[in-house]
Amino acid sequence: MARPVLAVRHLSVDFRTLRGRVHALRDVSLEVPPNKIVGVLGESGCGKSTLINAVTGLLANNAEITRGEVIFEQADLAKLSERELLKVRGEKISMVFQDPMTAQNPVISVGRQMTDTLYRHRKLSAGEKRKLATGMFRKVGISDPEERMDQFPHEFSGGMRQRISIAMALMMNPDLFIADEPTTALDVTMEAQFIHLLRELQADIGCAVLFISHNLGLIAELCDEVVVMYAGEVVEKGPLAEIFFNPCHHYTRRLIECDPSRVLDRSAVLPTIPGRLPNLTRLPAGCIFRSRCGHAIAECATKSPPLLAVSETHSVACFNHASLIERPAGGRAPRLKSNASENPVLEVDGVHVRYPTGGLIRRLLRPDAPRHMDAVIDVGLKVAEGQTFGLAGESGSGKSSLGRAIMGLTPAKDGSIRFKGDEIRGLPPREFKRYRRAMAMMFQDPVASLSPRQKVRRLVMEPFEIHGADGRDLNREAENLFQMVGLSREFFDRYAHELSGGQARRVGVARALALRPALIIADEPTAGLDVSVQGEILNLLRELQRELGLTYIVISHNLPVLRHVSDRVGIMYLGRIVEQGPTDRIFSRPAHPYTRALLDGIPRPDPSMRRKLESIEGEIPSITNRPPGCEFHPRCPIASDLCRAVPPAATELNQDHVVHCHNPLQGA
Amino acid sequence: MLNYALQRIGLAIVIVFLVVFALFVMIHFIPGDPVAIALGPRATPEIEARFVAKMRLDEPLYMQFFAFLGGVLQGDLGNDIFSERPVLTILFEALPYTVILATAAMAWSAALGIFLGCFSAARPNSLIDRITGVVSIGTITVPSFVVSIYMLIVFAVFLKWLPVIGAGEPGNFWDQARHLILPAFAVGLGWVGYVARMVRASMLEVIGENHIRAARSFGLPHRVVVYRYALKVAILPTITLLGIGFGNLLSGAVFAEIIFSRPGIGKLIFDMVMTRNFPVVQGGVLVTAILYVATTLTADLLAAAMDPRIRKSL
Amino acid sequence: MTDRFEPAGESAFSEDRKPAATLRMVLRTPQGVIGVTIVAVFLLSALFAPAIAPYDPFQINIPDRLQAPSLNHLLGTDQLGRDTFSRILYGGRIAVQLAGIAVGLSLAIGLVLGMIAGYGPRWFDNLMLLLFDTIRSFPTIVMAMAVVSLTGPSLEMVMAIFVINAVPGFGRIARTQTLALRNTEFILAEHSLGASTALILRRHIMPNVVGPLLILAAMDVPVVITVEAGLSFLGLGVLPPTPSWGSLLNEGFRILRDTPWPVIAGGLPLIITTLGFTFLGESLRDVFDPKLRKEP
Repeated sequence: MARPVLAVRHLSVDFRTLRGRVHALRDVSLEVPPNKIVGVLGESGCGKSTLINAVTGLLANNAEITRGEVIFEQADLAKLSERELLKVRGEKISMVFQDPMTAQNPVISVGRQMTDTLYRHRKLSAGEKRKLATGMFRKVGISDPEERMDQFPHEFSGGMRQRISIAMALMMNPDLFIADEPTTALDVTMEAQFIHLLRELQADIGCAVLFISHNLGLIAELCDEVVVMYAGEVVEKGPLAEIFFNPCHHYTRRLIECDPSRVLDRSAVLPTIPGRLPNLTRLPAGCIFRSRCGHAIAECATKSPPLLAVSETHSVACFNHASLIERPAGGRAPRLKSNASENPVLEVDGVHVRYPTGGLIRRLLRPDAPRHMDAVIDVGLKVAEGQTFGLAGESGSGKSSLGRAIMGLTPAKDGSIRFKGDEIRGLPPREFKRYRRAMAMMFQDPVASLSPRQKVRRLVMEPFEIHGADGRDLNREAENLFQMVGLSREFFDRYAHELSGGQARRVGVARALALRPALIIADEPTAGLDVSVQGEILNLLRELQRELGLTYIVISHNLPVLRHVSDRVGIMYLGRIVEQGPTDRIFSRPAHPYTRALLDGIPRPDPSMRRKLESIEGEIPSITNRPPGCEFHPRCPIASDLCRAVPPAATELNQDHVVHCHNPLQGA
Repeated sequence: MLNYALQRIGLAIVIVFLVVFALFVMIHFIPGDPVAIALGPRATPEIEARFVAKMRLDEPLYMQFFAFLGGVLQGDLGNDIFSERPVLTILFEALPYTVILATAAMAWSAALGIFLGCFSAARPNSLIDRITGVVSIGTITVPSFVVSIYMLIVFAVFLKWLPVIGAGEPGNFWDQARHLILPAFAVGLGWVGYVARMVRASMLEVIGENHIRAARSFGLPHRVVVYRYALKVAILPTITLLGIGFGNLLSGAVFAEIIFSRPGIGKLIFDMVMTRNFPVVQGGVLVTAILYVATTLTADLLAAAMDPRIRKSL
Repeated sequence: MTDRFEPAGESAFSEDRKPAATLRMVLRTPQGVIGVTIVAVFLLSALFAPAIAPYDPFQINIPDRLQAPSLNHLLGTDQLGRDTFSRILYGGRIAVQLAGIAVGLSLAIGLVLGMIAGYGPRWFDNLMLLLFDTIRSFPTIVMAMAVVSLTGPSLEMVMAIFVINAVPGFGRIARTQTLALRNTEFILAEHSLGASTALILRRHIMPNVVGPLLILAAMDVPVVITVEAGLSFLGLGVLPPTPSWGSLLNEGFRILRDTPWPVIAGGLPLIITTLGFTFLGESLRDVFDPKLRKEP
């Protein structure tokens, strides 16, 4: 094997904090061979970012490398001076960060920022630098590079800005390219485009890549080798196929199992990894994963397992991994049965949501500009008792607006919203309050959707205070709710920020359940949660549904999650539901090209199923500037002249399967 | 930009209108009989009647307001009660002294403050940063009129290097400049610290942002990252702050003018308050308020013009 | 995103409800210690002025007039032979009263107006903003001079002028905070539960808004004291013989040719209390808002 471009050896990093030293990285070793893509896989808190910052010398001031070395081109980066590091960063190593919207300076033109990255190349004239920059722009797929060079970052969309980030990073022809969760902030279709671009450019330039992600699918899609990290340690590393088909560490194996896109049986309970990350200030003795492992043997409690070779290329840090070589037979997962009936709980018909835009002066300056934007257009859906309706779509598709309109948090312009037969659209707040007992909503961010200065107990009792306690003992009610969502009483006196994402989400569920509603609208119930925790919440929601006969509307951009929980699915694009029908049918035989593109956009956590082509081109248009005809036509691979002129009407295929498309896909 | 500018200018006009209104209300509704206060106890009914007629105090209130507003719009702020000279003329004689003082104070304090702020933000928590921090707080905490008084004591009583009284001989540039030094120092001192701390905080915030991390990850040297990338973003709120700060500076200038006997607006208003010369007081307040509104407006527009996010929008 | 190694809860978020914990965190830095000490001395000396003061602040003693500082008269005497140190202690009482009432009143009015502006109808918000901007356009001292020339000098007038000038500052912060909170998910969540506006404002918004206002309040105490001193210095605030720090400066300034000591002594308490409250305010901000803390 050729000498690696980057070799991290026995690296340990501590952070000095007011609560003591946090041992963020411990004895981390990994290599990045030339021309290979190495993926670092891990959930939040595993130390991925600390690792990158240590490699690039961008560690925060309170961090300290206590041991080990970072060998890059025969020099130890951990020992270089700031000046020498600048040289390395400016000429050899470059990076792309997670959030494209904040990665560029807002007041300097992108062209200037591009040429500035060539700061160290003194030989080049300004003109040559600019030429290189326009060439790079073209390469990453930005049209009219000459003109767009002089624009400022805010004039580009998120997907474009991530392309610019890549262009900037690759300008200097680096030997090593580091991508830190580069697609986490992007939508599925944008993510697919980005991954495709990255793979193309890597083959073109031939640099080594260190790709950091929590997303198994992306790792499987892109990488050659994988390093799995947990709580600041490397627990397993090896070639991609080995890791995915023969995972040896219990953590790796469980993590792969947790991915909802692997659990095809919708009635199955999702696997999870119970427990929490250990406190990195006071490390437990022995194996760091022991408390959550379930396969621990006596040795695990006393000694920290070293990274041992399983094969020539594959090594694992586990004393008891041998037992893993033969996998337990599948299908032991308990099953959940759905008990949906036919009585509709919620019927939505022809609903519009419209937000006003612009002020008085803007209107005077541009009298022809639209005065409002339509977030939701002519949406109809029906949810039967005990059913789950999944609402899918990318950002800006109007799915959250629709959820809020149903809850009366945002006014719906016209159409009707009937809850158990009663019209609730446009009710004055006083009358709507009656229905708030029967409908509850859960919001995206598990922690931020809890009031920060109230104790959890108070939060859980609040619904009763608002709607009248009817002489009930609120403390007992709260305890009952806690029991239902699986939280112990020790959390009663905590504040929201003292909870983990999963715990906070459980509190959110408890609050939603308090008044025994018939309908719960869950907006991105798994957003911000690690894969291993996500399953717990989804299982809880389904269990509660079965026990209490709840009806759900689940809003999510995560299609595997929706497939797992929903009975019916609606796909939203630019405020319309372009396709809806039974989950199995939508997922197996999508009729709308957009649905197909979304499904193709899901990275498969299976290295043998890599996608070959970009699934869809272009970006989601702005809702203030809608294309004529079918609004999807600019991105549609099969658009005809009809599509460009006439908006498609609803076509009922069969089995309740409705699609808005002039040419529904064959086989549907 | 056009949208923003029109909005901002419109707001400024409305505010000036409200200021005029507030001034009018103040004079007519605050307890105290303006006639008695202005003329003193020895006025005969005859003098009072003449005064009332001259000031149009016998007309209904709304008429008085429109007369007042109309006068303001035409630049007629009435006449001095005693000398009968137009108020506007009197004010324009005093205005340059105040504007020069405020500008000089703002110029030296902002320049030094921005420099100190950048300097310490580039080296957070270093010794120099800490010293700058202490000095900044020190200058903020001393009220500007106390600085003026102390300066007066030090220079009038002990040192006698610089002139402490008046604004200097008209037409003699050097003499005027020498007379400007002490008041400009006293008025600007507190601002040095204020601006330095503001710039430092704003710089540190920007330096913590992702795009600065990205710039550093491309190997740009510290100097370029701090002064080209971070300062360009951090300077925007500072400009707005300087605009607002001009108002505080005006208050400081009032004291400095009184203490150093400098014939600016502040001293003028103070003297007129003492002699109960209302029209001049009223005009003086109006002019300072307009000066303040104009300065904040300029600062906001300047900051907007420097920010492509606003400049390039409608 | 970097890994979240800043331990949660280290911010005063959970602890700020307990004053003792806040005080402990403030006292962690030298700046906080100095601030708390000065503020404590200021409050105590004002409270116990009659017990501490070596002389009666009003007692005229012509033979001892215009003395320089000595052991008998720590800060010297004025033209009537009154002890300057005692007069300063008594002046502190006026400063404390004034600061307490004026700042408290401004905070309360600013909080209510700001929260309604941020949460209520758009027109009210615009009206408030316009009002705040208009008030801000009057330079404080100029406006004060104009008002006092009409009403005559008094402590109440100084207070009223300060409150009118300070409300916009509090109101703006309260409004901005409320506006930012208004669209957060937890407020939406309260809405979806059917919580009344009053409940949302009282229980969920106010606790998050008060913190920054308290910091501003600490920073505003020296401003009130300075405004009072400034106006009294000009003869438009507290009138002699009442011993306020400003009237001390006013009297001292008139006899500057005879002795500089009353003026020098009169300025000192102003500088020291301003320093104390500024330090306290800054430490409070560090505790309440760790985002603004210096470095990681």
